[in-house]
Amino acid sequence: MAGARDVKRRIKTVDNTRQITRTMELVATSKLKRATDRVYAARPYSEALAEIVASLYAPGLSEKYPLLRQPEKVRRAAVLLLTANRGLAGAFNANLIKEARALLGELRSQGIETELHVSGRKGIAFFRFRGEEMKTMRMDMSDAPSAEEAASLVDGLTDRFEKGELDAVYVVSSHFKSAMSTPPGHRRLLPIEPSEGSSDADNFILSPSGDVILERMLPLYVRNAVYTSLVENAAAEQGARRTAMKNATDNAGDMLETLTRSYNRARQGQITQEIAEIVGGAAALE
Amino acid sequence: MLSVRVVSPEKIVFEGDASSLVAPAWDGLVGVLPRHAPMLALLGVGQLNIDLPGGGSEAFHVAMGVLKVENDEVTVLTEYAGSAPPPPDVYDAHPEDDIVASPGNPLV
Repeated sequence: MAGARDVKRRIKTVDNTRQITRTMELVATSKLKRATDRVYAARPYSEALAEIVASLYAPGLSEKYPLLRQPEKVRRAAVLLLTANRGLAGAFNANLIKEARALLGELRSQGIETELHVSGRKGIAFFRFRGEEMKTMRMDMSDAPSAEEAASLVDGLTDRFEKGELDAVYVVSSHFKSAMSTPPGHRRLLPIEPSEGSSDADNFILSPSGDVILERMLPLYVRNAVYTSLVENAAAEQGARRTAMKNATDNAGDMLETLTRSYNRARQGQITQEIAEIVGGAAALE
Repeated sequence: MLSVRVVSPEKIVFEGDASSLVAPAWDGLVGVLPRHAPMLALLGVGQLNIDLPGGGSEAFHVAMGVLKVENDEVTVLTEYAGSAPPPPDVYDAHPEDDIVASPGNPLV
């Protein structure tokens, strides 16, 4: 059996680790709160924008606007993967990477040329290690993503889609259903498929015209989709980290319990042995 | 009385009643009073002024987006809304040049 002193040292280590994980859990909890607020605050804009685009959109417009163009054959697709810059969030990054690889595999099996765009240190590290080519690598997305950051991430892709260099653009990120449920998933950014609205724009004064407004709104729609993904991804990251750190703290607690038990046993054993030795020594003197 | 909502991608910037507002549309300022006809107008870059019912006013710098008026409900959707002017390079300050020339413009 390990000596009581060794056990004591281990107890100390585990206790230190538990303190760290508990602090990280608390930090993640407060960041999660703010990130969740941002997710909800972003919804009115997305909803209103989707409503306006839907009210201006009519089927048959697809040929007129490059962003609505539905290519007959998809030759080249871009995948934009959003991961975190930091780890210690359980399987958060691994799940996103897995999702992205599945999507890439599926596209390639259909004979589509793919290109990969990665945001977040963790995703970049993985694909660099695998030796896969990444078209762009971004590590400058903050915990509180802004609309400008989203724009800088996607505007290049939108331009290339308009020029016809790309036939589809996908984004891989976590959907933020709740703090506990943040499944990874992918959605298609381009071409846009607006939900068909009741075309109630007829009763409106349109300035300059419905067509021009729609044309100007579509890029904003794409930007907003990316912004929403970024915000939800940031919230999902904090949620995953909180869960991971809570588990770590709980495990450390369990470990401490077992270690304390074996420490007490070792200490008791030592005392018993010492008493036995003293008794034995006294008996030898008689 | 108008009920006004100014929404940016990040949050609802302003929500409340107003007696009138002046917004920077793509081709110049546009004023909205109660009982305005339904309207959808493209926004440019500039200052949005909201006159509050009790006197006083609120002002925001906005950039791009759209202004929607329907049944005295005004929604200002804008890419940028803040007390400081937007960063100059991010937003197209003169969309009118492209728009006048664009094929969808009925004026052409």
